[in-house]
Amino acid sequence: MKDLKYMIEFEDLLQSADNDLVRQAQKDGNFAIGYTCYHMPEVLLNVDKCFSVRLRAPRSTSVDIATYYMSNYTCEFARSLLERGIEGGYAFLDGIAGVDACSAMNRCYEHMEILGINEKPNFFVTHCDIPYKIEDYTVDAMTTQMRLRLLNVMHEKCGVDTSDEAILAAVDEHNELCRIMSEIGDMRKQDNPPITGYEYHVLCLVSYCCPTSYILPKLRETVEEIRSRVPDEKKWYRARVAVVGSEVDDLDFTRLLEESGAFVVADRFCYGSKPGREEIKIDRNGDILRQIVEHYMRTSECARYMSEEKISQRRVTADSLARDYRADGIVFEQMKFCDFWAFERPLASHILQEEFGWPVLSIDRPYSVRSSGQLRTRFQAFVEALEIKKIQQRGGEV
Amino acid sequence: MAKYPDPSFFKKKDKMNLKLQAENIKEIGGIVGRMLLENDWKHTAGQIAENFKATGKRLSYEASLAASMDVDQWKDFLLNGEKQLGKLYRRGKMATVRREWRGIKDTGVDFYEWCRMWGMLLATFSKDLIPSLNGALHYRWMISYFCCHSFMDKNTLGLRSKALKMHHELIYAIFRYVAENLVFLMKADEKGGNSEELSKKIVLLDEMTMAQIMAGFPDLVGIPYQLMPVFLLSEIDQLACMPYIDAVESYGLPSDTCPVPTSECGACVVDALPHMGACFISSSMPCDGSVMASSYTSRRFKDLPTYHLTFPVRYEDESVMEAAVKDIKGCIRFIEEQTGAKWSWDAYFEAMKRFNKETEYELAKWEVNQTPYPQLIGPCYELFRKWNYEMDGGIDPRIMKTFEKVDKLMMKAYENREEPWRGKMRHRAIVWSVPAHYYANFSNWLANCWGINVLVEMESLNFTKPLETEDKEEALRDMARLYERMVMRRHTNGGYDHVLTELWRQVEIWKPDIVIMYQHVSCKNMSTLNGLFDDQAREHGVRLIWIEHDLMDPRTVSRSDMRAKVNEYMRTVMREEPLDPSLVDFEDDASW
Repeated sequence: MKDLKYMIEFEDLLQSADNDLVRQAQKDGNFAIGYTCYHMPEVLLNVDKCFSVRLRAPRSTSVDIATYYMSNYTCEFARSLLERGIEGGYAFLDGIAGVDACSAMNRCYEHMEILGINEKPNFFVTHCDIPYKIEDYTVDAMTTQMRLRLLNVMHEKCGVDTSDEAILAAVDEHNELCRIMSEIGDMRKQDNPPITGYEYHVLCLVSYCCPTSYILPKLRETVEEIRSRVPDEKKWYRARVAVVGSEVDDLDFTRLLEESGAFVVADRFCYGSKPGREEIKIDRNGDILRQIVEHYMRTSECARYMSEEKISQRRVTADSLARDYRADGIVFEQMKFCDFWAFERPLASHILQEEFGWPVLSIDRPYSVRSSGQLRTRFQAFVEALEIKKIQQRGGEV
Repeated sequence: MAKYPDPSFFKKKDKMNLKLQAENIKEIGGIVGRMLLENDWKHTAGQIAENFKATGKRLSYEASLAASMDVDQWKDFLLNGEKQLGKLYRRGKMATVRREWRGIKDTGVDFYEWCRMWGMLLATFSKDLIPSLNGALHYRWMISYFCCHSFMDKNTLGLRSKALKMHHELIYAIFRYVAENLVFLMKADEKGGNSEELSKKIVLLDEMTMAQIMAGFPDLVGIPYQLMPVFLLSEIDQLACMPYIDAVESYGLPSDTCPVPTSECGACVVDALPHMGACFISSSMPCDGSVMASSYTSRRFKDLPTYHLTFPVRYEDESVMEAAVKDIKGCIRFIEEQTGAKWSWDAYFEAMKRFNKETEYELAKWEVNQTPYPQLIGPCYELFRKWNYEMDGGIDPRIMKTFEKVDKLMMKAYENREEPWRGKMRHRAIVWSVPAHYYANFSNWLANCWGINVLVEMESLNFTKPLETEDKEEALRDMARLYERMVMRRHTNGGYDHVLTELWRQVEIWKPDIVIMYQHVSCKNMSTLNGLFDDQAREHGVRLIWIEHDLMDPRTVSRSDMRAKVNEYMRTVMREEPLDPSLVDFEDDASW
């Protein structure tokens, strides 16, 4: 296939949290608000002159200083972010919108506050309380948190407009981005699609890590380009897999998987498009903020939600995505030392395998997989197993 | 006053499945038979001979010690007891080689308490013995409760005079609760007594979920589901949870998770939890691992209606209070629907009045322990505090007597300026982070070996505001505040201020010269603050002794490795020698 026009530029944008578009947006008088978690409604960070930057620590190597502070048995994602913060990698931020969802990430934000990683006078770190289940009163509680601990703080520190009109404008822009990403994402359902899983991962990450209004024009052009892109005649992959689990912002993970012969057809992980790139449907006469909060709560696939219906939702979502995107198997992954996904992965992997009938590869992985030999071997073996299964289903015909 | 627990609970009709019992006995018989056949009897005989030899060696050593004592030493020995406690341990043995000699008077007291505990246990189990015996044949964890006397002994090691009496009072109250609840568990369990009548009266509470909500349901009994098969079990016998951990790790759980929820999930995998109860109150407390363990329990017992009681994490923010109160109301409604019982405000307020009084007694203990003459310190006190705060919660009226008795003894001891470990107080310490006293009998060892007296531990310093006992809405808000500040949650949730800055505040109050810093290697919540503790301890001039551990999994960090950390620190940094050199290095890897 012909290379996408912006692919190299997009890859470059992902080399640093403080990328060219972020710098440009700040130069234009906008405020960068860092966040990590899906529990924090991205769209609320894009009101008026604020824009969201989903934090990553690309090209991470040593996390020694963060390990001194947070010990070595804790989430590498949180430690890598802290290390990057201590190195000065987030000095550009105007604020961090935190949620008290998991202890490692909460401590990471707290360290950033205590260690003073950002010297801007109005820099803020806010911590919002996040519910464990969905009830009317928990939606109300989270709505109050978003108003008091996020929007009011953004207004106070950055002087931005956080009215319903400003929020609706952000929703409109967000929805356009989601429509583009969903259209591209859906092309992965094709037998011989005009996009690879790696390319989609790149597009998805730039949509999270760059200011929406600055990346949107390039994504509009990219979707046009993909619509008319002609795939190679021969399929380039050997098996289709859905990736399910915890945070993946490491392009090398998808690259390694696809180099092993897999095609990542669905990305049901944090920093992926499921959830994250669904349009937010709003009744403009209702409580705008509450509807947004409820959208994020209902679409969240986070293992932290402990009520029965959410547990069941996670399994059903994985199953239906794998079916819709015509996957041959599921890779269930978990960031090493993440407690939520550590417990979720074994149980859900067994259930998806035994009750839903999916071949499942269940793995834990470091934040940066680089060129991990162990993972490569497991991916290759899984792809082979899926191929053999397909051959057996065809009655042994190669 | 109504009797507690309701005597009719013991009399509920059993519907034992005799066929199931017969099959189980047959299976157990087969296992025992195979063990007898496959046993290497020659090796067993060798071990017996070795034991005799070791006992002979110990007796001759003790005789030589006795022979070398002068009159004053004999007098001291007879009045104050023995000094070398390390010789009570023997390599590879589960129990100590004999009971401790504490001096004539205290040995008498100790023996009386030993008999009293046996009497209570036998009386309680005899209320419905057969289901419990069945349970002992179905669940291997039941066998570990046979060594509860050993737990009592190790937790009172070296204690003398009123401190010994107080510790016995406290541990007696705990074991009475344990015995009664074991009887209920085994009576109601499908594999045991299978008493449907009793099962309908039981509300199962998730690990660490406080019992106070059950105070409003005097016709029901709330039992912490995993307490007996997992948590307390591991404190009595540190080795008992390893099969659970291994089972769930074989299932795919990574080995870096906290052994508490890990063991709970493992107990589901190996089917070690009794199958019973009208409903289950699962909770999001205290930590991320506990949240996730609920999904294993609900999957194992699909027929057990479950309510997820979830409280806000940022609990100082009063804007989250409304949701917390609504969740409590939802939970009360759920229990009513599942059991047919009705919430009684009168019963709740009555119990909370007791709980408030108990909190006053608790504060009195803190006041005494903050003086240069601390009295009620050590593992039994810490265990009692947690049990009373979390699991009793003012519900059992008998506990008031325990408080009264202990308070009287404590004040008397304070007036006499007594030392709990007589002549052994060199350092004042507080314990911070996830405590591991019970698994390793650590506070006791610290006092006996190095004279480090632990005045209080982090998990005791919880909510002490008197709970509302008149206004119903405010009472619910207070209950939410209480639950949000439960053991293992008050400090670890809601921001670093609650645990990091709080330590320096407590150091000001308690004036310790050492802080025992337990580093639970699998606790993400605490270990993510390691560096800041170190940085700020230097700023505050506080000595931290870091002791790594992994709670009920001694394979990660053994008890002797934990002790070695203190030995090293005391010798190299403090340049001190131990009070009891026999306790510096001894082998207790196989002991309870």
